Amino acid sequence: MSARPVLRAASGGVTRHRAQTVVLFVVLLVSTASATLGLALLAAASGPFDHAFAAQHGADAAVAVNGSRASNAQLAATARLSGVTGAAGPFGAATVSISSQGFSLPSLVLVGRASPAGPLDDLTLVRGHWPQRPDQIVLSEGTGFFPALGTTMTITTAPGKPVLTVVGVANSVTNTASGWVLPSEIRALRPAGAPATAEMLYRFASAGTAARIRGDVAAVAAALPAGAVAGFSSWLTAQQQANGNSTILAPFVEAFALIGLFMSVLIVGNVVSGAVVASYRRIGVLKSIGFSPVQVVLAYVARVGVPAVTGCLAGLVSGNLLAVPVLHKSAAAFGVGQQQVPLWVNVVTPVVMCALVAVTAFIPALRAGRMSAVQAIALGHAPRQGRGYAAHRLASRLRLPRPVSIGLAAPFARPARTAGTLAAIMFGVTAVIFAVGLDSTLSRAEEGQSLAATAPVQVSLNSGNAWQPASSQDRAILAALRAQPGSSRYVAAAQTELSVGGLALRVDAQAFDGNAGWLGYGVISGHWYSSAGQVVVNTAYLNQTGLTVGDTTTVSTTTRSVTARIVGEIFVPGNRPALMTSVQTLGGTSASLGLDEYYVGLNRGVSSSSYVSGLSRSLGANYYVSGPQGGDFYLVADSLIAMLTLMMAVVAGLGVLNTVLLGTRDRVHDLGVFKAVGMTPRQTIAMVLCWVVAPAIVAAVIAVPVGMVLHSATADAMARAAYTGLPASFMAVYRPAEIALLALSGLVIAAAGALLPASWAAGSKTATALRAE
Amino acid sequence: MDALIELSDVSKQYDNDGAFAVEDVSLRVESGESVAVMGPSGSGKSTLLNLIAGLDRPTAGTVTVAGQRIDSLSETSLAKYRRQRVGMIFQFFNLLDDLTVADNVLLPAQLAGASRSDAKGRADELLDRLKISQYKQAYPARLSGGERQRVAIARALVNSPELLLADEPTGALDTATGEEIGELLRELNQAGQSMIMVTHNADLAVRYASRTIQIVDGRLADGGLGAGIPAGGTEPAAGAHAAKWQA
Repeated sequence: MSARPVLRAASGGVTRHRAQTVVLFVVLLVSTASATLGLALLAAASGPFDHAFAAQHGADAAVAVNGSRASNAQLAATARLSGVTGAAGPFGAATVSISSQGFSLPSLVLVGRASPAGPLDDLTLVRGHWPQRPDQIVLSEGTGFFPALGTTMTITTAPGKPVLTVVGVANSVTNTASGWVLPSEIRALRPAGAPATAEMLYRFASAGTAARIRGDVAAVAAALPAGAVAGFSSWLTAQQQANGNSTILAPFVEAFALIGLFMSVLIVGNVVSGAVVASYRRIGVLKSIGFSPVQVVLAYVARVGVPAVTGCLAGLVSGNLLAVPVLHKSAAAFGVGQQQVPLWVNVVTPVVMCALVAVTAFIPALRAGRMSAVQAIALGHAPRQGRGYAAHRLASRLRLPRPVSIGLAAPFARPARTAGTLAAIMFGVTAVIFAVGLDSTLSRAEEGQSLAATAPVQVSLNSGNAWQPASSQDRAILAALRAQPGSSRYVAAAQTELSVGGLALRVDAQAFDGNAGWLGYGVISGHWYSSAGQVVVNTAYLNQTGLTVGDTTTVSTTTRSVTARIVGEIFVPGNRPALMTSVQTLGGTSASLGLDEYYVGLNRGVSSSSYVSGLSRSLGANYYVSGPQGGDFYLVADSLIAMLTLMMAVVAGLGVLNTVLLGTRDRVHDLGVFKAVGMTPRQTIAMVLCWVVAPAIVAAVIAVPVGMVLHSATADAMARAAYTGLPASFMAVYRPAEIALLALSGLVIAAAGALLPASWAAGSKTATALRAE
Repeated sequence: MDALIELSDVSKQYDNDGAFAVEDVSLRVESGESVAVMGPSGSGKSTLLNLIAGLDRPTAGTVTVAGQRIDSLSETSLAKYRRQRVGMIFQFFNLLDDLTVADNVLLPAQLAGASRSDAKGRADELLDRLKISQYKQAYPARLSGGERQRVAIARALVNSPELLLADEPTGALDTATGEEIGELLRELNQAGQSMIMVTHNADLAVRYASRTIQIVDGRLADGGLGAGIPAGGTEPAAGAHAAKWQA
């Protein structure tokens, strides 16, 4: 069997049908890119902390050492202790407060390191460079404080208040420090008279549980002079925090990844098989001149293979490029510094895509190869006779412009192809509805947590290393709030920890001095407290105590026990129990409650940033005034949702483009006839656009409930992962008018996909089209 | 008599460096004439018809129909020109298989924005006169070749065009059916319908056209003057038949 005719037939098909070749290439490109991204995200959401911990050679424990009690040699000797498998340090450390751009940050631990690399805690430099001079600092991503590079920060607790310039941001998966400077700089940053402290990093042979780590650190402490170990932080704490984010993000990342993968498979299958089926007539001609069935199959697999494989490779590269910003965001959300497309994704994706192309091209090519030449020519000529005739008859009775009614009836002539179009639009609309719903839910969750809509400004007391409210400071804040233009209302709160019998964890409590209902915390069930003796609690509190709304609960402050009725379940995510009530319920300030935070609502139209600046100036450095604080998690989730939805919509649009293009090729002769009897270009475009209207409407009708169910299931899964229920208001994001608008996205996707081939059809030469068979 | 069609030095070249499909053709057709364009395969007769129909544009020269230069019209204006001033019939009928006979005939009127009742009335009248009203709800695939060509003629006439263009109208028909269609076209011409017919059937040209012009290698053989009224032909626009075919 000679390969030359096969290659000639394949290359002829590629060059002759340039538009379809381009569509095949683009569909494979976008589908492979989306599959690569989807798989990379799935991998990123699967145990991100563990991967980052392994990559960074994370430390099992960061031990704070009192440098005056142990020498460097004694500390270095601990690396050889039984059970210690790795050690790094000692690194000089200093606990400082900083002030920058009107903001104050207390109690930051700065560590002196000559470089980010190391046998343990191999830091990921996310932005900028490592300090090269004594007055430079690299901040930890874990601080959540991201000033622009070049920003200066004053160390307010160090003698002479030295100024450091931010030259980079780095990630330590176990949060071993708030920032890093050169080792020589540490001494100058310590408060006057503060003891020299250092940090030792350890990897232990056994560090799977908190008890094991406590034992390991105790062994280190025992090997050092008494009092040398001042404290330690465990990798398990960082893991718990990171895995919390991971499990919350995972449901929606997985949902998007699965939609993307399904859509890629569907559209690639549809495009490739459609391309082969559309060539049946040519296959018939090749057979009539002597091509064997095997040569036909090879020619057509090769014909779609060339653009498909190149598209696949281009898509792999694009997917990797696209993954850089997406994985950067997901890494930030997971708090793991850096994530990359795993090697297996770069191998599996193109292999699976190419296999998919081969199978979807092979089946119809094999079918065509087995047909007689006449049969193939007849099948390739036009849709099967009789199909869609009834639809045309019905459509002709509609009082619509004729191009519209003809266009509406057209999809019934090719039911399988129409089903492919419908599925592509359905996936696209589902992604849009799901994304919009999830975005609304997350926005409401963010508002419920940050109180950005009701109390965009929060004022805290900042007294060096300790949070020490004093009545004089309270009076100063009240005076400043009254004097500051733009203040609408405010409420003071006391933060405290309570204990509840039977609970291992302490309860985070907030007691408000006055009406706090206007703050707008999301209420999952029951209502906000309205009088003394009532409390609201989060889901974790109810789950861990086994109580329900309506029950009474007894909590203890340091000075007294209080029994109160739980009147509401509120949205405060996290595994830690939380309780909110009035100061009066907890016994007032006599119960050692100090009002240490103020929530401030602003008048309409007042800029929160200018208000924050004004109030900061008026209060001075001992008060921490902050504006609305959108959580990184929500920012990352929002941008991921936007990017993934856009990709889904593009892939859906390409699916539509392909089927409409095949339709215009099938019906090129009819298009010539329409134009010959007087159809204008605008009428032609309208007619071709109407080919996809009915599938778009049906797709939207299916996609609306599917998208809503997917939203509900994903939001519930995310909430469960965050140990919380969701207020009904967070879930009721679809109003009828919005649903109608979202359903219209089906028409938008369909029209966008069909517009290009419709324009090609309108611009084609009538005489040429009439000659086409 | 007014010139319905006037071609001045018209040339058509499909590739910049290729041969001319039509070269330096100048032609004048009076209103009410029935002109047969004859020539061997590949001589350029269909190209000439396409240029007059506004389906293609000349590379050089001007094409004027009913006083309107059509070679410089936009695509939209050309479409309007085709639907209002020209009716076309083709060798292979070019009916739309998925539309009924009635819907095929109605299509140009509906595209032109005619009211539903007017268009339907005119279509019914034409189907009656062409003796195919019994197939109104049938699909073209179920009709014989002659019946399909009658449907195509009805579709071409539904907007009462000034000019009927026929490209090998009997080329796909058996002799007897071809005779029928020829008679029908002659009857139309006698009713005043101006017509240009492309054919390589000399007998059809002689019997049913009032003038025959020859085209060879893209050029008119006798400068477009034509052979005059053939023995079997008739004078154009016989008033007695005119009312029968006009809207």
